[in-house]
Amino acid sequence: MSDARGGVGKRIGVPVLLAAVTLWTVVPLLWMVMSSFKPSGDLTADPPKVGFTPTLEHYDTLLSGNNIGGYVTNSVIAAGVSTVIAVALGCLAGYGLARSRFRGKDHVAFWIISTRMAPIAAVVLPLFVIFRATDLLGTTLGLIVAYLTFNLPFAIWIMNAFFADLPPALEEAALVDGATRWQAFRRIALPLVLPGVATTAVLCLVFSWNDYAFASTFSGPDSQTLPIAASQLVTQTEIDWGQLTAIGTIVVAPMIVVGLIVRRWLVTGLTLGAVTGE
Amino acid sequence: MGAVAAPKTATAGPRDAPAPKRRRRGLSFEGRLMAPALTVLALLSIFPFLYIVALSFSRVGLLGGISLEWAAFDNWTRLFSDGAVGASWLRSVVYFVATVGLEMFLGVGIALLLHEIVRGRNVLLSALLMPMFMAPVIVGLLGRFLTDSTYGLYAWVLRETGIYTGEILGGTTAAFVAVTLMDVWQWTPLITLIVLAGLASMPKSVIEASSIDGANYWSRLRHIVLPLISGVLIVALLIRSMDAIRYFDIITNTTNGGPADATKTIPIRLYETGFRFFDLGYAAAIGLSMLAVSIILANVFMNQLKRRGLAK
Repeated sequence: MSDARGGVGKRIGVPVLLAAVTLWTVVPLLWMVMSSFKPSGDLTADPPKVGFTPTLEHYDTLLSGNNIGGYVTNSVIAAGVSTVIAVALGCLAGYGLARSRFRGKDHVAFWIISTRMAPIAAVVLPLFVIFRATDLLGTTLGLIVAYLTFNLPFAIWIMNAFFADLPPALEEAALVDGATRWQAFRRIALPLVLPGVATTAVLCLVFSWNDYAFASTFSGPDSQTLPIAASQLVTQTEIDWGQLTAIGTIVVAPMIVVGLIVRRWLVTGLTLGAVTGE
Repeated sequence: MGAVAAPKTATAGPRDAPAPKRRRRGLSFEGRLMAPALTVLALLSIFPFLYIVALSFSRVGLLGGISLEWAAFDNWTRLFSDGAVGASWLRSVVYFVATVGLEMFLGVGIALLLHEIVRGRNVLLSALLMPMFMAPVIVGLLGRFLTDSTYGLYAWVLRETGIYTGEILGGTTAAFVAVTLMDVWQWTPLITLIVLAGLASMPKSVIEASSIDGANYWSRLRHIVLPLISGVLIVALLIRSMDAIRYFDIITNTTNGGPADATKTIPIRLYETGFRFFDLGYAAAIGLSMLAVSIILANVFMNQLKRRGLAK
């Protein structure tokens, strides 16, 4: 379609519309990052100020006063550990599922996908009662378990999609050469789906790092994560927007970076294998 | 779970030595690979599911440990006669149609625009995808900052242009529109990404042939491009729909259901019932009704995968 005869309309219209879309997308993000470097006095200026002398005061306050390190640690552990477990188990089960045919496979697949898609509000409820009874409330372990409820089915499903795209002929050749099934999986199949593994890991990490609903219900003073720290800066009387935009930047920046690293495979991951990219 | 142990078919060659051993152990190689994950998943899904079902038939006491008292169908009859919950469902439907509808429309539009350019497409796509990776709670809080009536950037723009001068998150309609647009801002990129992949996979020959036939852009779009990517569009719609029912962080962190219940969608209502009024039994009934909706959607999604030959 690239040589459509739209003529002038197309030559001007497409860039103009794309510029508008880019502005619409980027302005809030830029504004957040800018605001995190704005002196407090300029933050609430009316009209909003674009020119200002950048300052690190908000990041300083966060780092010194608010025990931000604790929140970062909790976020990294909760999101990181649940990601590692989900991806490890997901690789094994995804391969097993992709290479097997059994009666009821459809039902297993459906069970996995509906677990992934269960509304968070509906999952929080029974988990809350179960966690209360098992003393998992307020612990990082509880959050790891909670994140596994969506990361594990997601990882199994996606790894299954990536492995299923792999022709089994290579593994069969290895078996003929005397490799065991495990060796064929570990040395042949797994290395070939490394981009898939990376994508799965990134998406698991993003989902759990960004979680608010589980963390706000289950975490206690010792296990609160960064999104909770951000929401707690909002009080009835006043909101410190300098700190809030700074913490927002800290929460958002790493996920955008890791997310864009695996951009080529994102479509497959985010559509649960229903659409493949490039 | 017993089904996992079923025999596997012929992927292995003639000298597939492990075969007899597998039979002896009872669980195939694939079964053994799946067992740990599926066991954990069963603990994480079946147990809580049975628990929420039990809760929905109970009066739940929280003082001094949890106690469930059989309440028969009380929570369920209440659910089907509760006007407030009905209103929340209606609001959820409107919110769903508005967000997902706008996201599909804009996402397809933006993907078509990106598809027109060659140079810089990937860089631009990366920039446009950024909101998707943001924590929804940050999107909500940032939205609050931008719409603050005294110093918010967007509030200022609306005021200066005379479009809207009131308190944005304070007016019932304005607040609803605002939380809708925040969701649209965050998730339109997902649709763009999926549709762009669909556009990129269209067979070039078909497009070129229709171009030679003299079809103009709009008639090509309608009669050739959109039918070609219809499967991808359905996948995008379903994926977004399932997630739209899952998340409620943006509303929680902006209006939390207000003003005057204007944004109290069904997950917000559930959360309030369960964790502010601690009526866990009733909340469980609401939760199960939400679960039913997402299971229906998951079912449609599975059928779509099968139709596309992608059930793996």
